[in-house]
Amino acid sequence: MANPLASFTNVHKRFGDFVAVENMNLEIERGEFLAIMGSSGCGKTTTLRMLAGLDAPTSGDIHIGGVRMNDVKPHERDTPMVWQSLALFPFLSARENVEFGMKMRGVDAPTRRRRATEWLDRMEIGEFAERDISTLSGGQRQRVALARSLVMEPEMLLLDEPLSALDANLVIRMQAVLTQLQRELGITFVYVTHSQSEAFAMADRVVIMSQGRIDQIGTPKDIYRAPANRFVAEFVGRNNILSGVVDRHDAGAVQVRTASGVFSVPPVSADAGAELAFAVSADLVTLSVSEPDAPNRVRCTLLSEEFIGSVVTVFCESADGQEFKLQLQERELNQHDLKSGSHVWLSWRTEDAHVLDGS
Amino acid sequence: MTWRLPIILWQLLFFVGPLLFMVAISFYLVKNYRMTEAFEFVNWQKMLSRNYFWDSYWYTLFIASLSALFAMLIAFPAAYALAFRASESTRRFAIFLLIIPFFSSYLVRTFSWYVILAESGVVNAALGYLGLGPFKMLNTHFGTLVGYLTLTLPLAVILQTVSMANIDRTLVEAARNLGCTPFATVWRVVVPLASTGLIVAMLFCFILSFGDFVAPFYLGGSQEPTLPILILDTTKSGQQWPRAAVVAVMMMVTLFAVAFAAIAFAYRKRATR
Repeated sequence: MANPLASFTNVHKRFGDFVAVENMNLEIERGEFLAIMGSSGCGKTTTLRMLAGLDAPTSGDIHIGGVRMNDVKPHERDTPMVWQSLALFPFLSARENVEFGMKMRGVDAPTRRRRATEWLDRMEIGEFAERDISTLSGGQRQRVALARSLVMEPEMLLLDEPLSALDANLVIRMQAVLTQLQRELGITFVYVTHSQSEAFAMADRVVIMSQGRIDQIGTPKDIYRAPANRFVAEFVGRNNILSGVVDRHDAGAVQVRTASGVFSVPPVSADAGAELAFAVSADLVTLSVSEPDAPNRVRCTLLSEEFIGSVVTVFCESADGQEFKLQLQERELNQHDLKSGSHVWLSWRTEDAHVLDGS
Repeated sequence: MTWRLPIILWQLLFFVGPLLFMVAISFYLVKNYRMTEAFEFVNWQKMLSRNYFWDSYWYTLFIASLSALFAMLIAFPAAYALAFRASESTRRFAIFLLIIPFFSSYLVRTFSWYVILAESGVVNAALGYLGLGPFKMLNTHFGTLVGYLTLTLPLAVILQTVSMANIDRTLVEAARNLGCTPFATVWRVVVPLASTGLIVAMLFCFILSFGDFVAPFYLGGSQEPTLPILILDTTKSGQQWPRAAVVAVMMMVTLFAVAFAAIAFAYRKRATR
């Protein structure tokens, strides 16, 4: 990547014995919407805090705009952050919150007032400008927090799980607001979240982290369809993960012997007898009542169903106890008269099996 | 109601009752060194028309306020460090240490200052080696202030620490993130967030200093008598308990007014415009 906005080079961060971030190498492009995703304690928030200068790397270098930032104090940086708790100042009005950063940077009062008004209007909360923070709703506060950061006109906006306190409907609306803002402003958003739906809905690129390490960097589609390793496959989406040993190489496929049967996967360079794991996304698995004519099929017992709108996730178990899940439309499922304990056949195409690295 | 009864009885018996009795006494008369029941305004007229009363009143108000201000300023860096820099266990230990002074009598602690502040005391001896002094520190305003601070500083540090330890750290980081220098962060964010606790702490320091007899008497040398010393002097001179009661009622009124104003200010609501 030529001339990235920010970069991590061999960055380690330890808190005492705890390794928060281990050997991170990451380049953040100008104008991209980058999501950093992982479960709690994976190092995603520490990564964001190091960009803001709130935590200093133990070793390695962080550059922003080509300048080494390791020793630059937080208040000398132009990296405003939107916090999970929003961190609005309760003793200031909405307007005073938005003006705060400009005031600290010595912007004169008339300019502060004009720019705060512009941003409050843009975020559609102009009418609440003089109100106390405590009198605003969650969504309105969210907008004040965004205005407070964006009024600084930064090159990069840091967001730390900003939507996690909002209810589901509001999350969808704020996602639209965020992506639209990011496109209009053309600035870099670095967005930390544990929510796959938020990351995949908004980001150009997603970084998946676990235990302080980056597991995979890629577009949402890359990560969804081609998870780099078992962790990503388990963390992202609903994947069926099967492991076994390479049985033999056929023309255009590799046969893998698992406890649930022999399945073919796309060609990989693995010797016969080598251990191998692969993932099949739940939405690529087909359900049928009679035995299908497919290369990869397994007979299962239906365990349970989970409805999310019109999509159903069906949980099944093969004879050896391996759990399988598949996703299909509710009306598709209704064509079969199935109940818990029914026997069904699952099948998938060979090219939909994705071999996992390091398995 | 049943559970509240003991405290209500206690307050009525030992606070409200004596207070009302004190107000009543201020209207009594003294005849032949004997207090007699009466309802005359003569004590009030006598006391409130005397310059020495008002001199003492303003001086006490001034030096107690100054002491409260010093207590706040001196305590703040320590409390800030305990609240934001120290670990949880260090903070707990420090608060324990700050409570220890209350184990011993305030009078004893005050007397120990004699050894330190006297003309031949520790401080002057040390300064003497440097060719400075000796400085007169006992029986001065400075002595009075030292005494007040002996009483109030540990309490000030404890109250300030507690009020700052509860501040949401994210707000402090948000201030840094928005361009506040460390100093601006304290002034713009920490102080406003802790303001209720800081004001209550200052109020406590003021109340303790305003009513204190020991420091101005023993360390201040009652050069400029504070109101508690005036009360003592008044009772001694011709058994003038009623006039002493006038001074005491004036003190109570002042403390009520200051406490009410301070608490109203501490819990003020931002005007919603």
